[in-house]
Amino acid sequence: MMLELSSVCSGYGRVRIINDVSLTVSPGEIVAVIGRNGVGKTTLMKTIIGEVQTHSGTVTFRKQDVTALPTSARAKLGIGYVPQGRGIFSRLTVGANLALGTGVGTASQPNLERAFEFFPILKKRLRQPAGSMSGGEQQQLAIGRILVGEPDIMLLDEPSEGIQPSIVQEIGRTVRLLSRQQGLTVVIVEQNLSLIQAVADRCVVIDNGAVIATLAPDELDDPETAKTYLAI
Amino acid sequence: MDFVGQIVSYFYQYFDNAAFLILAAVGLILIYGMMGVINMAHGELMMIGAYVATLTYNAGTPVPLAIALAGCAAGAAGIIIERLIVRHFYNQLLSSLVVTWGLSLILSQGVLVLLGPSTMNMPTPLGSFSVGDFSFGVYRMVLFGVAVAMIVGIWMLFRYTAFGNRAHAAMENPRMAEALGVNTRRVYTTTFGLGSALGGIAGGMFAMTAAVSPFFGQSYTPLAFITVVIGGGANAVLGLAYAAAYLAGVQTITSNVFNQYIGYVSIMAAAFVVLLAMPSGISDFIERRRMRSMQR
Ligand SMILES: Nc1ncnc2c1ncn2[C@@H]1O[C@H](COP(=O)(O)OP(=O)(O)O)[C@@H](O)[C@H]1O
Ligand SMILES: [Mg+2]
Repeated sequence: MMLELSSVCSGYGRVRIINDVSLTVSPGEIVAVIGRNGVGKTTLMKTIIGEVQTHSGTVTFRKQDVTALPTSARAKLGIGYVPQGRGIFSRLTVGANLALGTGVGTASQPNLERAFEFFPILKKRLRQPAGSMSGGEQQQLAIGRILVGEPDIMLLDEPSEGIQPSIVQEIGRTVRLLSRQQGLTVVIVEQNLSLIQAVADRCVVIDNGAVIATLAPDELDDPETAKTYLAI
Repeated sequence: MDFVGQIVSYFYQYFDNAAFLILAAVGLILIYGMMGVINMAHGELMMIGAYVATLTYNAGTPVPLAIALAGCAAGAAGIIIERLIVRHFYNQLLSSLVVTWGLSLILSQGVLVLLGPSTMNMPTPLGSFSVGDFSFGVYRMVLFGVAVAMIVGIWMLFRYTAFGNRAHAAMENPRMAEALGVNTRRVYTTTFGLGSALGGIAGGMFAMTAAVSPFFGQSYTPLAFITVVIGGGANAVLGLAYAAAYLAGVQTITSNVFNQYIGYVSIMAAAFVVLLAMPSGISDFIERRRMRSMQR
C-alpha cells in the first residue's frame, strides 16, 4: 500500500470533523475524493499531510506509521501537498517557489526540468513574482513545485477551482500522465465531474466526515448519482 | 575657519550616528521582520556580548576573536531564550514585549548580582586621524563599515541562499512551508539565534567605546526600538537602512545646530513624524506601494 488510513478521526482542536475514515490507496492509483461542500474533504487532506491533528486511528505511508510525525517530516518522506487555494508564496518569484519543492521527498537537487516538462509556461515566468500570475498558472506552479522534489504521492485539493476550463482539461491530462508515465500516486479532491471522470480510477464519497460509498467513475454518468454526491 | 575639517566632521558624525543605530537595531529588526516579535531583552544580549568581549580581551584574546566570541555567546543565549520562552509568543507583539521585557530585567539584575555594579573598560583600538583642526577616531569608521557589512550580509543571506528562501516562505505562509518540508521551528530558532549573535557582536564592538556594566543594554534599547518601529517589518533590511539613514541625518543636523541633547530628543520627534505618515513603518509603506503598482 502507498497510503493507508485506518479508523482515522481528526479535526480542529476538540471539534471532530473526520469520523472513523478508513482508506487505502495503491501505488500508481488515482483516487478521487468527492462530496458536497463542507463535508470534510479538505480536512481529510490536511489530516494526511499532518496539518490537522489526528485524534485516533493511524495514517500509514509506505508501511511507515506517520501519525505522530510533524508536517515537514511527512513531506520529506514523499507526500506532496497541493492545497485548495494553491498555497503559492505570492511574494516570492516563480523560481523561488519551485526551489522550495526540493523539500518534498529526499531529492538533493531540484529537478526543475521535470516541472518544465509538464508545465512549460513556468520556464518563461521564472523571475516573475508568483502572485502576479493568473489562477491557472498558479495552479500549474503549485503542482510543478512538488514535481521538483521526489513525491511518491500527490494530494491535490480542488485543482479546478476558479480556473478556466481549457486549463482544467490540461491539468487533468497532466495528472493522468504523471500517474501512468511516472508512477505517481494521486489523491484528488474534486467537484468537477468531467475532471473526475478524466482522471480517477476510483471515487471515494465523503459525507459528514465519513466515507459513505466507493464508486467507479462511470457510475457518475447517472445524473441522479452525480447529483446526490456532488455539489452540482 | 577650517572648512574642509568641518565638512568631514559632519559626515563623520553622520556615519557614527548611523552606525550606532544600525548596530543596535540590526539583530532586533531581523527577528521582528521574520517573526513579528520584539525582543526587549536584545539590549541584554548586547550586554552579554560586551562582557564576553571585555573579559576575553582582558584575558589576552585578540580583539577580533573577542568580538566573535561575544557573538557566539549572545547567539547561544538567544537560542536558549527562543526555545524556552519566545517560541510561545510568535506573532503576539504585546505578549512578547511583556515577556521579553521581564527577561531583560532578570538578565540585567542577574548580572548585577553576579558581577557587581562596577564598570569594566576596554580601550578603543586603532587610534585617530586628523583633517585640519579636527581629529577623528578610526574605530568609529570601522563600526560604520561593520554596520554596512551586516546589512549587506543579511540581505544576501535572505536573498540568495536556500535558507533565505525557506525563511521567506515560513514568513509568508508557515503551514505551506511545512508542507514543503521546511522545518519552520528550526528556521525561527536559527533566525533568532542569528539576530542575537548580531546583537552580541554589536555589544562586543560597543564595549570599546562605552563602559560595560549590567545596565549596558539600556543605552541602546530605546534607540534600537525606535529604529525598528520606523523601519517596519515588511522588509527588515531595507527598513533598517532607511530608518538609520533618516534618523542619523536628523540627529546630526539638530545636534550641530543645537546640542547633543536636542539631537537625541529630535530622534523621537523625527520618529513621531514618520509614524504619523506611515503608521507601520517605512518598509511597510514602500512594500505596499510596490504591491499596488504591481497589481495594476
Ligand atoms: N480551521 C478550521 N477550524 C474549525 N473548523 C473548520 C476549519 N476549517 C474547516 N472547518 C470546518 O470543517 C468542516 C469541513 O470543512 P472542509 O474540510 O473544508 O470541507 P470541504 O473541503 O469538504 O468543503 C466544515 O464544517 C468547516 O466549517
Ligand atoms: Mg475543501
